[in-house]
Amino acid sequence: MATVEQRVKNITGRVLHVDPEGIKLEDDFAADLGAESVQSIELVAMFEEEFGIEMDEDQALSVETVDAAVQFITRVCKEQGVEI
Amino acid sequence: MSDKSKKSEKKKYPLVEVREANLLEDTFDYSLPPRIDFDGPIVEYIDGEAVQFDPQSLKTRDIRITDTTFRDGQQARPPYTIDQMVKIYDLMSKLGGPNGVVRQTEFFLYTKNDRETLDRCRALGHRFPECTGWIRAVKGDFRLVKEAGLKETGMLTSSSDYHIFQKLKMDRKLAMDKYCEVVDAALEASVRPRCHLEDVTRADIDGFVLPFVERVMEMGEQVADELKPKFRLCDTMGFGISFPGASLPRSIPKLIHKFIELGVSSDCLEWHGHNDFHKVHVNGASAWLYGCDACNTTLFGFGERTGNPPLESAIFEYIALKGDLCGIDTRTITELADYMRSIGLPIPDNYPFVGKHFNTTRAGIHAGGLRQDERIYNIFDTESLLGRPPRVAITDKSGADGVAVWVNDFFGLSGEERLNKIKVHRLARWVLDQYEIEGRLTAISDEEMEAKTRELMPEYFDKYIGE
Repeated sequence: MATVEQRVKNITGRVLHVDPEGIKLEDDFAADLGAESVQSIELVAMFEEEFGIEMDEDQALSVETVDAAVQFITRVCKEQGVEI
Repeated sequence: MSDKSKKSEKKKYPLVEVREANLLEDTFDYSLPPRIDFDGPIVEYIDGEAVQFDPQSLKTRDIRITDTTFRDGQQARPPYTIDQMVKIYDLMSKLGGPNGVVRQTEFFLYTKNDRETLDRCRALGHRFPECTGWIRAVKGDFRLVKEAGLKETGMLTSSSDYHIFQKLKMDRKLAMDKYCEVVDAALEASVRPRCHLEDVTRADIDGFVLPFVERVMEMGEQVADELKPKFRLCDTMGFGISFPGASLPRSIPKLIHKFIELGVSSDCLEWHGHNDFHKVHVNGASAWLYGCDACNTTLFGFGERTGNPPLESAIFEYIALKGDLCGIDTRTITELADYMRSIGLPIPDNYPFVGKHFNTTRAGIHAGGLRQDERIYNIFDTESLLGRPPRVAITDKSGADGVAVWVNDFFGLSGEERLNKIKVHRLARWVLDQYEIEGRLTAISDEEMEAKTRELMPEYFDKYIGE
């Protein structure tokens, strides 16, 4: 199974229409990858679907970088007993 | 204030950090229109002397709203039918409540329909609003008042030279004599006269208005209190000014003070404004503040040319000044607006309190605020007081916040049940694509939103709306 990082990059690429291979961990969703307001929400929704988790809206939307998203999702999966 | 010693004493304002938000709820009690509090007396310089007005007296004075929807209001539109006027009168009574906050309304008496309307309104048996008449200051007209059996009538006593000389083709003495003849006839017949001082904000106050008022007061010296002449200060062209320091004849504070100085009591004074300079509501409320007990209004401000003080605005001002509903049924305002629309009276969408979109926000950032706490972008509890919860209109500016507010309102969800932005992301995307891809320029209707909600959020639609 792909790693959390790879799965996050794949979804980010799909939602933001960028090549997942070119996404770096330090990339900022808005400043580097061009995520607009609705796209940020779509990203969170897609992460929830991909990992089968429920994220706190405010906390999830305050995540700025790909690396922070990987860490945040890993923590939520652990808290909600979801295997990754 | 510009000298240096004052500058050196400049007051400092250190930040006051608090654990909890201070929402100033003494003033902004969400269940009522925000209270209007005063810090102390208001001082106006009149004839070189400092005159104090006590705004605290508003709490105890019997200030009231009077109505001229059927008189001035009808001068701005095709006539109402008798049935329509009876319905409006009935609702006005319900609105003003048992304390008679909407105290009086006036009727023309000239036609058979006018008189039938009056009879049918009185037959409803409501104590308030009291029915009064409106006539020209012509003795022949007074017969109509007597025949109608009214206790009070307004009479046109035009006060500016524009009216006396240019319209009535009289001089001041002749005008005063004619007006006084009708006042005399009213007092003789035990009908309370209410002198409508037409165009008073363009009149010679010392040279005509006060001499006339003084003479009428003398005529009323021997009559019972309930017959004491009243005076309506008619700001016919909307020239009245509420600003401190403004000059007569336009100054509302000075004008009212001059009457009170002559011995006219506040309960015999009424303000009648027009909106030619967009000052109509504030001028009416200022008249209350400076000593007129009655503010004359029309429903939704419909009146000659630009209209009169809106009755419903006066209602909210009244509650804000008193700090209490005082028996007023505010939801009747919505009922009246719906009824007026049903009989063809246009009310602009952005019109305060009753317009279709008066508490609708289109901006996503405002919708975000509404989603978190409706008090952020709603003036008061409009659902409780008007049966109109705050709403969002969906456009390209709505954002996911606006879409979430719409969806939660549509599903009737509150508190923990409310769906967050993440749950409405497909709908938010569809909305944005309407504008960015489809090039749409109009707002999205509720019907379209409902159809798309059913399509894109079927699990929630089935759960909360059903098939």
